[in-house]
Amino acid sequence: MRLGGKLNSTVPGGPSGTVWLSAPIAVWHRVTSWIPTAAVEKRPSFSPVADRREYPSELSILVRTLNTVRQRILANALLRSWTRWAVWILVGLIAIGAVLSKVAGPLVLVGVLGTTGAAAILIWTWRNRLPAYEAAQRLDSVAGLKDRLPTAIYLGGVDNPDGLIAQQRKDAVLRATKLDPRSLFPVRLPTSVGRALALILVVAGLFAYRINHKPPLLSLLQSATRSQLIQSIFSPLVQAIQKDLERAVALVTMKPDSATADPRRDDSALSSDDLWKGGDEKGAKDEQQQAADNGNEQDQLQAPPGQDGAPSPDARQEEGNSQSQDENGNQSASGNSQQQAESPAAEKRQSLGQSLMQALKNMLSNSSSQQANNRANQQPSGQGTPQSGNSHQPGATEGDKRGESRGSSDAKQKATQTASEGAGSQQGSKELHKDPNPHSINAIPDRVALEASGFKEQTRMNVETETGTAQLASRDQSTQGDAVVNGAEQETIPARYRLYVQRYFEHADDGKR
Amino acid sequence: MTSSVGTEGQAGGQPSGPQAELLAEKMAEVRGEISKLIVGQTEVVDGVLIALLAGGHVLLEGAPGLGKTMLVRTLAQAVALKYSRIQFTPDLMPADVIGTSVVQENVDGRKSLGFQPGPIFTNLLLADEINRATPKTQSALLEAMQEKQVTVAHTSHLLEEPFFVMATQNPLEMEGTYPLPEAQLDRFLFKLRVPYPGREDLHEILDRTTQGTPASIRPVVNGSQILQMRHVVRAVPVAPHVQEYVVKLTLATHPETRENLVASKYFRYGSSPRGAQTLILGGKVRALLDGRYNVSLEDIRALLLPALRHRIILNFEAQADGRTADDLLEEIAAKISPN
Repeated sequence: MRLGGKLNSTVPGGPSGTVWLSAPIAVWHRVTSWIPTAAVEKRPSFSPVADRREYPSELSILVRTLNTVRQRILANALLRSWTRWAVWILVGLIAIGAVLSKVAGPLVLVGVLGTTGAAAILIWTWRNRLPAYEAAQRLDSVAGLKDRLPTAIYLGGVDNPDGLIAQQRKDAVLRATKLDPRSLFPVRLPTSVGRALALILVVAGLFAYRINHKPPLLSLLQSATRSQLIQSIFSPLVQAIQKDLERAVALVTMKPDSATADPRRDDSALSSDDLWKGGDEKGAKDEQQQAADNGNEQDQLQAPPGQDGAPSPDARQEEGNSQSQDENGNQSASGNSQQQAESPAAEKRQSLGQSLMQALKNMLSNSSSQQANNRANQQPSGQGTPQSGNSHQPGATEGDKRGESRGSSDAKQKATQTASEGAGSQQGSKELHKDPNPHSINAIPDRVALEASGFKEQTRMNVETETGTAQLASRDQSTQGDAVVNGAEQETIPARYRLYVQRYFEHADDGKR
Repeated sequence: MTSSVGTEGQAGGQPSGPQAELLAEKMAEVRGEISKLIVGQTEVVDGVLIALLAGGHVLLEGAPGLGKTMLVRTLAQAVALKYSRIQFTPDLMPADVIGTSVVQENVDGRKSLGFQPGPIFTNLLLADEINRATPKTQSALLEAMQEKQVTVAHTSHLLEEPFFVMATQNPLEMEGTYPLPEAQLDRFLFKLRVPYPGREDLHEILDRTTQGTPASIRPVVNGSQILQMRHVVRAVPVAPHVQEYVVKLTLATHPETRENLVASKYFRYGSSPRGAQTLILGGKVRALLDGRYNVSLEDIRALLLPALRHRIILNFEAQADGRTADDLLEEIAAKISPN
């Protein structure tokens, strides 16, 4: 149904089918209403009459003089118009030569356009050439004859004149014979000729350059694009946009199977399944760090000395990534292996929309992670909420925010580990309780979080708290949505039940939205 | 030669070129005679001569002592016309101007009412300080100036042609005066402002009036010749674009027209068609005096102020802004293109 029909059906008596033209029609009427008024108010010009008239022989000299004047005025008008047209054509040629790589076709088009325009200008100027009466006025004003000539032209239609009319004609002809119209109306080059000549030179130089080169404007743009300044200006924007696009594309095109099959993808492109899995992976990474503390994983204990000191959070995360990938590949970590064994069947059931939603929440939480980190530092009491279990749904809910705050703190990191890893992480936690190993300096940030959340590791965390723990804020952004539960309580929970709980909270979150 | 002009004019033939040339010559002679007594004031003298040949009347405005009355008297002598002067005062009655019916006794001793013509029955009337008479007396001139006749006791009396009124008024002493009504102002072809003489002119005036005897004025033309000249004047052709220019100027003085913002802002009333007629007729005379046989745009521009300045009425805003009719008309003329 057309929009007009819709309007007619919805608004009786409203705009009709012609309403769309009412505004331009009103404007046109307003414009045209002036035209007849002006025509009525202005007396019909005498000029057309003077042009059609046959002049007596006594005025032949005057008429010849006026014809000369008219020709010269016409020539000047033509030169002026043609020069202006040529300027535009030359500008077009410059644009063509500067931009287009293939100029043959456009050149032909410009040639045709120029010729047609010149012909149109000729016809237009000829049709609107100066009438004899107005030419007489011009000549009279230039020569200072006090309207003798136009009056004579006006009186030229009087047959057998006598008295003052004949005297006036005679006087005008006498004065006209003394005039030299060529000196009074010289054919002059228009002022824009210089501009046109300059443009001709530019066009010639441009096309000479184009014989062996690319279009200069394109080359200039390309070089400017390659320049460091431009890149420094635009590359952050481009990278950010590209990253977002990649995320979106990955989220849309990703399937649960593929997510399960490829656990090594980038965290930023993870779907909800990946988030679970990513959380598992990160749990595995953290577990490995814990294992480094606990000494369960001996290869972790053999980490380079540089990591035993105080590695940056990113470095440690990268390390954890690599380690978890190794573990995933080898199925060596018990927690990860168990999680990965149970998760594919459950993750397949999750819809793509849920995955997309969760991933978008994750993306949003990425941007606000720093702010959430600050909130987490300022509100340590909120760190106790992981026990509620609601915070496994990342997003805009309060639980998510708390999850973010946890994620930006060490407590969050610990909670993420325990929640996502399930039994495996719990195992690690238990071992943390048992292990007074001084190697646990790598896991200091995790313990700091536990201290704030009031977990039973609090006593140890009080001991192990060191500076620099807040630097792990950006580490666990992808795990904010993971459930934060006590690993000990979750140790014996089967994977099916865990999936059921997860879906339960997802639905609850959907209901809130 | 003078007689031939009058004969041809009375015969009603088509004015010829020699008649136009003769007109120019005669007027140049009149101008020369006037200049024997009137120093400078060429525009005023030309305006008076143009009005005389165009068949109109002139209102002279100027301070006392600038030679207004002398100009009229000198002109009357130069053109050999009957001349009378009326000094307008507040107690002047219309009958004092146009005449009245009086009881007359004939040779038989019978008494009857007879019309005693007033001073208006003349060729050249000087209405001195016309704005000092009451409007009733001023209006007594209306019929005489327009219809060239007066009506007394249901009897109309034709005035002798040419009838030419030259009124003067003093712009300084406005107390006890009665400004002329618009209807009467419109009857005057021109309103000429008599300026103060310049340095050279003042020296000349002193030399002429304080040494020796005043020069005598020789009559150059008579009344019939002036009538013939008026006939010649009307035969001067006007080009369409010149007439269009006159129409544009006249319409531009109308405040209700949107063509010119000056009129709508400052004018209460614009020029009547008499203004356009004045421009064309005055332009024709001026062209002949200039040795041309056609009216030019220059003639129109030269006569714009004397022809229209008394035909427009300014509103309060113009008075508040200190604008005069002259500068507003010049502004209008500057904005209107003749083509």
